[in-house]
Amino acid sequence: MPNQPRRSRLILPSRSEHAIRLFLAALTLLAISANAADVIPATPSAYFNDYAGVVSKEAASRFNEQLAQFERDTSDQVVVAVFPKMQSDSDIADYTQRVAQAWGVGQKERRNGVVLFVFIEDRKVIIQVGYGLEGALPDATAFDITERHIKPLFRAGNYEAGLATGIDLICKAIRGEHKGFGKTAAERQSGGGVFSLLPFIIFIIVLIIISRVIRKAGGYSYSSRGGGPVFIPSGGGWSSGGGSSSGGGFSGFSGGGGSFGGGGAGSSW
Amino acid sequence: MNKFALGCGVLIAILLFVVVVAAIAIGGSYNRLVRLQQAVDQSWAQVQNVYQRRADLIPNLVNTVSGAANFEKSTLVEVTNARASVGRVQMQLDPNKAPADAAQLAQFQAAQGQLSNALSRLLLVSERYPELKANQNFLSLQAQLEGTENRISVERGNFNKTVQDYNVAVRSLPTNLIAGMLGFPPRPFFTAQPGADKPPPVQFNFSSPAPAPAATAAP
Repeated sequence: MPNQPRRSRLILPSRSEHAIRLFLAALTLLAISANAADVIPATPSAYFNDYAGVVSKEAASRFNEQLAQFERDTSDQVVVAVFPKMQSDSDIADYTQRVAQAWGVGQKERRNGVVLFVFIEDRKVIIQVGYGLEGALPDATAFDITERHIKPLFRAGNYEAGLATGIDLICKAIRGEHKGFGKTAAERQSGGGVFSLLPFIIFIIVLIIISRVIRKAGGYSYSSRGGGPVFIPSGGGWSSGGGSSSGGGFSGFSGGGGSFGGGGAGSSW
Repeated sequence: MNKFALGCGVLIAILLFVVVVAAIAIGGSYNRLVRLQQAVDQSWAQVQNVYQRRADLIPNLVNTVSGAANFEKSTLVEVTNARASVGRVQMQLDPNKAPADAAQLAQFQAAQGQLSNALSRLLLVSERYPELKANQNFLSLQAQLEGTENRISVERGNFNKTVQDYNVAVRSLPTNLIAGMLGFPPRPFFTAQPGADKPPPVQFNFSSPAPAPAATAAP
């Protein structure tokens, strides 16, 4: 009895069965390729990101502050990302271009982002240059930085010095290309946040005033309640901590929407 | 009589309404198609830009390489010829518009692919000349060429993306009627040739000679 329908299903719609099988096969293939495909890491929240743990904490925060200050001065966003391993099977230039593009390093209009990628286990370093800085940091210069300045230090195992040199040389090459806004993109965003709060704050103040007026009027007329505030709980403690999102002197990174066209160069050590 | 006039009026109002709605719909779709077509043409311009950048690097590269003592002449001739044939194909294309004809784009792609192969062979051969590897000018040219290949692959990807957006709009249901009437044909895009979908392997520290470029070489 259970054999009967099963058989007919196998025999009758053989074409659609075939199609379904093909579809399933395609799905599996897709799943496999999606598995093998590369991982675009999440947008970092700092300028200097050492995911491989090759640099001391003090140096990392020093680099981060240096790069944040560089953005304040020039609006150019330089991000460093040190990964233990490349999470992709494709070509390093192709992969890192897509990562840099996804992170949106650089201001949108100026397209002035640079990302220095390091993959420790792959022993590879590459500089990705945004469209707007290809003139200031041409491929030959980028290659010179990775090949002749970073590579020898990395080879000797001195990652900190290599990164310091790389950051200095990149900044030196692109300094003077753009004028800064005095603030990083993250700082300007949080500034915008306070501005968007402004109407709300005014609203609250108006409420307080109204409540005072009403309370006063109430006191004179008939209320026998002990002057409890009408709208606002007593204490008047409405404060949200001033909205300081960047605590402890840490300068956070926020991509400005820059774009990358494959400029830059890299080396393996 | 009065009733008839009223009926007529209602009918006219409905017709007018339909016409206005249709006009707005057509106008909206038309504008969208124009915008997408512009995006395609713009990304095509970027593609040509980066290919031109590569073509501009070649004379300098050939000069530098031919300066090396008894450099293999055949590879140089091949590069020069491939560049010339790219120029010939490009002459037939409208520089301001992405090609509408698939055969034209295929021809362009084939010519550029041949140049890519010739260049990678040139760089492969140059590995055998230590004096070139010590030449700063050559090393810088190599870095530029490599960067240009990366740019080409990025811009080709961008071009294909914009063509895809455009083609989806041209072929999907409400828009495709209008697209057919107003002359928005689907556009061809770059196809993955064996070895052409990726930048040619411009590697400089082989331990064993790579046979790939020779294998994928066009006639």
